[in-house]
Amino acid sequence: MTDLLLSQVKVGGESQFGTDEYVVNLGPQHPATHGVLRLIVKLDGETVKETVPVLGYLHRSIEKICENRTYPQCITYTDRIDYVSAMSVNYAFALATEKLMNIEAPARAQWLRMIFIELQRLASHLLWMGAFAGDIGALTPFLYGLRERERILDLFEMTCGQRLTYNYIRIGGVMIDILPDFVSKCIAFLDYFEPKIDEYEDLLTYNPIFLERTKGVGVISPEMGINAGVCGPSLRGSGIACDVRKQQPYLYYDQVKFAECIETAGDCWSRYKVRMREMRESVSIIRQSLERLEPGPIEAKMPPVLKAPLNSEIYSRIESSRGEMGVYLVGDGTAKPWKAKFRCASFSNLYVLDQLTKGWKVADIMAVLGSLDMIVPEVDR
Amino acid sequence: MFTGENIIQIVSGFLHWAYAQVGISALAGAIDPVITAIVMFGFISVFVMFLVWMERKVSAHMQSRIGPNRVGPFGLLQTVADAIKLTTKEDVKPVNRDKIPYFIAPIVAFVATFMGMVVIPFDKGMVVQDLNVGILYIIAITGFTVIAILTAGWSSNNKFALLGGFRSAAQIISYEVPLVLSVVPIIMITGTLSLSGIVEYQQQAGYWFIFPQIVAFIIFITSATAEANRAPFDIPEAESELIGGFHTEYSGVKFAMFFLGEYIAVVVSSAVAVTLFLGGWLPVAFLGFLHLPGFIWFLIKLVSVIYLVMAFRWTFPRLRVDQLMDFGWKVLIPLSILNILITASVWLLLYGKGAQ
Amino acid sequence: MGILKYFKDIFSGLWNLLVGLSVTSKYFLNFKAVTTQQYPEERLPLPARSRSMIKLIYDGEKDQFNCVACLMCAKACPNSCIKLEGVRQADGKRRMTTFKLDFSTCIFCGYCVEACGFDALTFVSEEYENAVYKRGSLLQDEHAMKWVRQAQPIAPEEQKKETVIPAVVGA
Repeated sequence: MTDLLLSQVKVGGESQFGTDEYVVNLGPQHPATHGVLRLIVKLDGETVKETVPVLGYLHRSIEKICENRTYPQCITYTDRIDYVSAMSVNYAFALATEKLMNIEAPARAQWLRMIFIELQRLASHLLWMGAFAGDIGALTPFLYGLRERERILDLFEMTCGQRLTYNYIRIGGVMIDILPDFVSKCIAFLDYFEPKIDEYEDLLTYNPIFLERTKGVGVISPEMGINAGVCGPSLRGSGIACDVRKQQPYLYYDQVKFAECIETAGDCWSRYKVRMREMRESVSIIRQSLERLEPGPIEAKMPPVLKAPLNSEIYSRIESSRGEMGVYLVGDGTAKPWKAKFRCASFSNLYVLDQLTKGWKVADIMAVLGSLDMIVPEVDR
Repeated sequence: MFTGENIIQIVSGFLHWAYAQVGISALAGAIDPVITAIVMFGFISVFVMFLVWMERKVSAHMQSRIGPNRVGPFGLLQTVADAIKLTTKEDVKPVNRDKIPYFIAPIVAFVATFMGMVVIPFDKGMVVQDLNVGILYIIAITGFTVIAILTAGWSSNNKFALLGGFRSAAQIISYEVPLVLSVVPIIMITGTLSLSGIVEYQQQAGYWFIFPQIVAFIIFITSATAEANRAPFDIPEAESELIGGFHTEYSGVKFAMFFLGEYIAVVVSSAVAVTLFLGGWLPVAFLGFLHLPGFIWFLIKLVSVIYLVMAFRWTFPRLRVDQLMDFGWKVLIPLSILNILITASVWLLLYGKGAQ
Repeated sequence: MGILKYFKDIFSGLWNLLVGLSVTSKYFLNFKAVTTQQYPEERLPLPARSRSMIKLIYDGEKDQFNCVACLMCAKACPNSCIKLEGVRQADGKRRMTTFKLDFSTCIFCGYCVEACGFDALTFVSEEYENAVYKRGSLLQDEHAMKWVRQAQPIAPEEQKKETVIPAVVGA
């Protein structure tokens, strides 16, 4: 495997001075790759000639495992596909299963799902902001991001008992109703959080060094983005409206007011701006959802054993924190999916890395990789 | 009231009395420098340990954390614990290293920066050797670090280390130029290269050079930060890109020497900044009623400048290597040349020819 | 124009750097902004719903576990980490004899607790330091997992948990 990849990279160039190309392994253990992603980087001095991502260090064959688990049991594995945004993946699978089995979750459950998915988007974007800033050398925003994320996780733990792998959004509803003081605590958090976004923007957005590092770096042109299947905030940074929440509204996203955040430049800074604006939009969605929350059941009426119809198949998609999260399921009349496939945003976003970094410097690999918001378990699954 | 000169007199008086008691007065000329060096080394070591602790505390509170608080009061002894750990741990060496340069590099890095302390006047007369070319000496001797870092990067036989070494060479050579150019206006005004002389000029003139020379001060602090390889100019050891940069393959005592070297470089450049721009040991005007000894004033100013450097590190992202060069050559150098030009013209207008 | 823009860029850059410095300095000067919890000394109480440790409820009055070895938990478990056996007693009721839960594969999803219809399994929030020195210690049996319900029961909505959610199993 390694030999094959190295032979593709071709050590030894044709420079007239007889110099060699400089092949550097970034990862799998490297401070900036957010996990075990390995990049074989071919350098000419500081300039990058080629970046070859080597995947599979975190492959746990979740899709295959899902074929041997019942539909509710699969949800526990979806937590681990994208552990930074587990609620979204929970819901992506639950939505596909519900469509497969014609289950309609009650209204309260839907609003609760929206609240938790948007809170999760905040948590994920906060972690992304910190890690992105850390990649380009500013260490303090990481701590700020984690500080606020802790409070979101406190809300999650209060409700479902876990901080990372929730298993909260279930087929046909949610695991458990919120506690009576959840709404007031959530609003208190939002009031605390909104001024903090301004603080992050003070710290980063117009910082001249940050602008130098991100403006004009790693430009995804709209054509390149669509051809490579880039999605989510990374594509919206290139000026393409691709928010599944707007295009194919699921849950009650058609009943709340929010703007789709689009920037046109397509560089790292635009992607940063998109995510920062999305945080503000998420806050507004949560506020509206909390107002619309009404008492009611949280679980649909379902048979004790959930079985998909024979020869049924479904592809459903949602907007996870990283982009379009698609779930493809094939039912064979039993309680277990015949085939489960997850279409993860990180994997398709990573595809453009080579094109974006060619001709740029080593440090830009980190900036671009950070701005794409990649999570290794989602790449490898 | 104690002043630096009094203390020096008392101590040297005591030493000479002691020599006479033991009967080695004849050797005083040889022993004095040794004792001075030992005292200097002790002071710098303790001060650097304090700085490491301070950096941790500053960064911690900036990030709403607590920082070290386990070893000693307020965690003050944390650095001592770390030093013990670093000195006792195994020295892991790469097999294919270039043995002699690998061994020498950390020593050079440490000594080169440490030598800079020799000409820093902590108080009137409280200076190891008041060279009449003090500024020139400091710029020359701290420039040695580039050799150490390049050697370390090359001899480690590690790709990341080599990249870090090359980056460092480009960076330090580029930033020497604005560093020197930013000091030139002050030399023009004072007409001396001696650090004590510059402080005395500020005393006579009644103002600090930061006021007429704020541009020079900013350029100096920026290039000094770059010279010391501190963030936002820490590209030779850029953690998120090059892991550890030139010291990736160093561990134990050798790593500690690089680490200490970096901090001493910060101390030296901040001390020079204090001397040149902030009036060295002179008291702060509106706090003059405190009647503190000169070296206390000096240390207060020194710590303030170092705090500024630390705040830079924990606030700003890191520049890219080519942007760093651009910034040095296209912003700092033109600005400092312009500054020289303007200073010279204004000085000529105000005082005419032969102004001193 | 070029020259003006050059200086304007430098000044706006300096200004934005100062804005950034003011944020970090604000936190530096505000010593109360510390959010650290010093763990071994400061222990935060976990929320009542916290899924931190699974326990077998032991009925002190009847001197027996509530578990009747119906195997619903073992079926609900996605990782098959529960192994248990039971016998039919003289009075015709089934009782659990051995119960083994392998915490090295348990993912604390909570399906076993939800599937249990006999109030025999529960999550406790008091015990959350689950690290051990030997991997073998993670395989716990009914003696290690024995837990007597405290005098004060959990809040009413906590108990509703079992009734609200239907058993989610299959095979």
